[in-house]
Amino acid sequence: MAMAPITRERLAGAHDLELTAQAAAGDRAAFGELVRRHGSAVRALLRRMGAEPAAADDVAQDAFLTAFERIAEFRGEGAFRAWVSRIAARAWVRRWRREAQIDVAADPGEFMPSGLDAAVTPAADTRIDLDEALKALSPAERLCVSLCYGAGLSHGEAAAALNAPLGTVKSHVKRGLDKLRQRLSPDGDDGQRSAASA
Amino acid sequence: MATMGSGARQVPDNRFEFRLGRMFAEAPALPDAELFRLRVLEKLDRGWTARRLLIGVMGAAGGLVGAVQLVGSGDLGALAALSARSDAYAQRLLDQFATVAPLGVPVAGEVLLTAAVLAIIGAGFGLARLIRDI
Repeated sequence: MAMAPITRERLAGAHDLELTAQAAAGDRAAFGELVRRHGSAVRALLRRMGAEPAAADDVAQDAFLTAFERIAEFRGEGAFRAWVSRIAARAWVRRWRREAQIDVAADPGEFMPSGLDAAVTPAADTRIDLDEALKALSPAERLCVSLCYGAGLSHGEAAAALNAPLGTVKSHVKRGLDKLRQRLSPDGDDGQRSAASA
Repeated sequence: MATMGSGARQVPDNRFEFRLGRMFAEAPALPDAELFRLRVLEKLDRGWTARRLLIGVMGAAGGLVGAVQLVGSGDLGALAALSARSDAYAQRLLDQFATVAPLGVPVAGEVLLTAAVLAIIGAGFGLARLIRDI
């Protein structure tokens, strides 16, 4: 039987699962609360994948509309944010491929970002954030790393979404991780030192 | 989540990958989050309004085509003739109904027909509500 809609006061305190169940029953206010909670994360992911802010918002809006239409498919096995992030990431990849901005399979991975010297490691006392660090990656590396670590896709799923060979995607991810490790850990040995001292 | 190869480097690689995943998850709240929410809901409403309009227009067009076909085929004349032939039978039925259930009001064919149509519409509404609730 249909559930009673959640009152406006209770929306903010309701769990995502409760909100998705309400949204599946047609409660738009509940879905609006989900958009309010997770909209920024989805938009940020798309921007990190290389989308311009306006394009990222566009794709994120469409992703939420798709999520609303398919919300009955969401079984709550994972987090709603992860689910809608995957929808958005795949939508961005489709658009990216359609606009043929770059061929992932042909991208050599040699990339010099404007205004950033990828070969130079930041000074030890300056820990730059992820958004800045991602700028040091080539578009393909950035896309592959974001798909795998931001949207939670496996290498195989990313390769399928990008229509690129699995090996190529793995190479992009590895190169991207190396660059990020270098930039996010100024001394370049994040983890190794901890492992050695353990 | 993607994984790196096994071996001596497994611990540091996994640590960094875990940290990277967490950094991706810790997205900052954008200042126009409320505006974004309103835009999504607006698009959602626009989509449903467009669908309703489309369904309405298609229904009206279908009804018009059906009416034209009905008039053009001459079936209405045949239906009128059939109705005239069944008048006597309907009158006998009404007389019997009046003896079984004397309502004290004039029971005509139109009244029965209207009641039947209203009952069908009511059943339709009830069924639609039931399906929605389930």
